[in-house]
Amino acid sequence: MRGPPSRHPDEPREQLPAVEGFIADASDLVPGVRVVYPNQGVCAVIGIEEKDIAGQKLQLVRMTREEDGAAVLVPKNKVPTIGLRKVATGDQIEGVFHYLAAQFDDPELDWKVRHRDNADRLIAGGLLGVAEVVKGLHSLSRIRPLPTKEREQYDNARHLLVHEVAVALGVPAGLAEDYVDYALMPPAGVKFDLKPPPPPVLLPSRPKKRRPVAEETEGVLGDLGIAELGLDLELERALETGPAGTAVPLAGADEAAEPAEEESEAEGAEEEEEKGVPAPRPDRAKPPKAAAKKAPPEKSRKAAARKPPLPLKAQAKDHGERGKKEKPAVKKAVKVKPAPKRGGKKR
Amino acid sequence: MIRVVTLDKVEAADLAFLTRTLYRAFGLGTEYAGDRPVPPDAQAKDGRFDAVKLLRQVAPVRTYADDKVLYITSEPLALTPGPLGEPPCWGFSDYGKDRALITTAHLPVRGVTESSIETYQRRLAREAIHAVGHLWDLHTCYDARCAMHPSWSPALPASPEMDLCVFCREKSERKIRLAKT
Repeated sequence: MRGPPSRHPDEPREQLPAVEGFIADASDLVPGVRVVYPNQGVCAVIGIEEKDIAGQKLQLVRMTREEDGAAVLVPKNKVPTIGLRKVATGDQIEGVFHYLAAQFDDPELDWKVRHRDNADRLIAGGLLGVAEVVKGLHSLSRIRPLPTKEREQYDNARHLLVHEVAVALGVPAGLAEDYVDYALMPPAGVKFDLKPPPPPVLLPSRPKKRRPVAEETEGVLGDLGIAELGLDLELERALETGPAGTAVPLAGADEAAEPAEEESEAEGAEEEEEKGVPAPRPDRAKPPKAAAKKAPPEKSRKAAARKPPLPLKAQAKDHGERGKKEKPAVKKAVKVKPAPKRGGKKR
Repeated sequence: MIRVVTLDKVEAADLAFLTRTLYRAFGLGTEYAGDRPVPPDAQAKDGRFDAVKLLRQVAPVRTYADDKVLYITSEPLALTPGPLGEPPCWGFSDYGKDRALITTAHLPVRGVTESSIETYQRRLAREAIHAVGHLWDLHTCYDARCAMHPSWSPALPASPEMDLCVFCREKSERKIRLAKT
């Protein structure tokens, strides 16, 4: 039997084991047969009829709900998917009563999980699932009164259970209700000789949290989705080149690679010192956004590219001036509000 | 309309209290519709009466659409044993239909004092509301203060209430509103 639809299109739909007496073939639905429609109750098959709906000729199975005589029409090709099943047998009914009368001291206290599980149990359509809903909510009602939604769910589940028990045992619904009450709320001093209850109904597994995985092929901009906005930003190039044409490592660079980089940078600096050229300062500590802000506009960068290279002293001066200019900004960033003194006012 | 039929002698004061209480509980007119004999064929070997059989065999009264008939007997009743045995029987209702039966055999003794009579009347009214509630599609309630709570439940207080809980009251009102008449 198919479980609920998957949350993501790339996940396959879960297959749950079919409930006992599951009807997978529409040829089993002959007139006079009694079947159980999930969440609706016991229905009697009237026959198969053909109807012209929206220009299509459909074969429909006509059923009537026994409780109130409501007409139920099911397309013949949908029969295997809606969870129709045969009315429970005597053994199943006995197992359900032994389950109802057993001790139950573990009600689910998280209402979201409980409500979802109960809805799944009712949709699955098995009699034991319905009994589990009744038993679970009844046990919970002993701890605290049920909220309105769950009170309705309890009433619906009880209604389905009572009617199916009545049909399966061939007794009036009022008597079936007394049987259910006797199992759930036995009089003082009554003890049942119970058999081990049947295995619980399997519920569909809950969707797992999907964690976004960074794709290596895409750049940083791809992750941010800026490329989709259609803006002509030069962020990517700015990130690659840095403020003064220096190489800026990407934010996602491995920390493990840092020592090696440091070593290589140190070596490069030594070499340059030997040559008399100051090593360019890699602005690694700055996040990519900050680096992007500092990146010069396209025009100035182009102009800088056109300019002839300065002599070494001039470069050093230029570098020093830039360092001076940048200093206040760094100071501003470092400026921290003094922490309040401990112990409050002391005199 | 709720019609009360007695199969054994019931005091007039008790009947008056019962009709008043049923009217308050469901908002439907309630009247005494006479008495009928107990069908002897419904009696089992142990002297008790099969509730289901008795309700089927008892002489009918004239009713109209959506009328509910409540039979009251003092005979002990029995039910067909189920998968876990025979449940105690304080009454039987044809769920969602028009006939119900209650017995006074399990009620406290009526006595002669005012308090004992009041206790008896309240318990009788509670059983009547429970039986008529089933006729209006109400299921048994888990709330021990509700009249739809089973009478044999160990959680039932010594002097139980004879009112419906909010959920049962609203459901019965909805059902009564949707009735044919």
